[in-house]
Amino acid sequence: MANNTIEAGEAAAAAIDTSSIEVLEGIRDKGRVWEDLCEQYGVKNPTPPWKMSLEGMCDALTEASCALPPVERRWEEDELSEELYLDVPFPERQLLALAHSMIRRNLVDENELAERMKIINKRLNMV
Amino acid sequence: MAEKHNHDHAPMVEEISDFEVLEIAVRELCIEKGLFTIDDHRQFTEYAHNIGPLPAARLVAKAWLDPEFKKLALEDGVKASLEVGINWITSPPTDFGTPSDYCDLRILEDTATTKHVVVCTLCSCYPRPILGHSPEWYRTPNYRRRIVRWPREVLSEFGVILPEGVDVRVEDSNQKCRFMVMPMRPEGTEGWSEDQLTEIVTRDCMLGVALPHPDRKHNAKRPIHKAINPVHGH
Repeated sequence: MANNTIEAGEAAAAAIDTSSIEVLEGIRDKGRVWEDLCEQYGVKNPTPPWKMSLEGMCDALTEASCALPPVERRWEEDELSEELYLDVPFPERQLLALAHSMIRRNLVDENELAERMKIINKRLNMV
Repeated sequence: MAEKHNHDHAPMVEEISDFEVLEIAVRELCIEKGLFTIDDHRQFTEYAHNIGPLPAARLVAKAWLDPEFKKLALEDGVKASLEVGINWITSPPTDFGTPSDYCDLRILEDTATTKHVVVCTLCSCYPRPILGHSPEWYRTPNYRRRIVRWPREVLSEFGVILPEGVDVRVEDSNQKCRFMVMPMRPEGTEGWSEDQLTEIVTRDCMLGVALPHPDRKHNAKRPIHKAINPVHGH
């Protein structure tokens, strides 16, 4: 049983396309990670405010729709961490890997994601 | 709202990062595509907020004090969890087993000759309902690969040096089964109450990479040891 599970995980990992995705590459290269923001603003919180929401999203993707099983998600996160997001700290790396897995599975479209980010950026920065 | 908000407040990050925007964007698209609902997300996020290692610490403390409860804990971890308020079967938010955490908890008793350690070599399976979120190191390939091959060396990196006569048993978590360690009660805790004992059973003790000590508590202030010969001298 355990061997079957490992083989399934390896197959999923082998299937993930680890080539870079432009919108995520931009965030990886220019996005400000939580530890830098904490240092700048003197904040001691060990995790960013979106971390629990990310956990909730991963669970919901598993339980509500079976869209992204946790074992495959974690295998892909490891693969992508080694290939693409090695220099990104956790949990930013977890988030990038999740978005990458979703784009590669056609659950989310890359252009759609980029457009949505522009809209959200505008919304959050509105004064 | 009319009152002036002029007291000193804790520092806050006054900036929106691309990562924050990305998390919102992915979530909104998931909801719009019907992968989950807003309510699903709220329930799972609340669940994620509420879990932590204290129920497991209390379970160990109870077992140290009550031989009958200890017997139950070793025979049926799921049933024993009920005594510390954790119901693996009907726990929220799913009501049919907790998310990604299957309903089988096995509690591994350390003895004078056997030390248990928990890992998930495949991914990051973890007894979240009773122990909260896994630490980052638990998810790393470094730990997952090396603890099964060189357990003594890896344990020594955590500061646990085991004598030759102690066997190390590494348990590999999986999709069907979760593990936690019941460490040995340390000397110097004779006569302690359940609350006192609970304070010294830290998360790492229950993963097997640390040993409980009467002076090491969950909420202890971290000691500061200044460097004797600081590299950056003043």
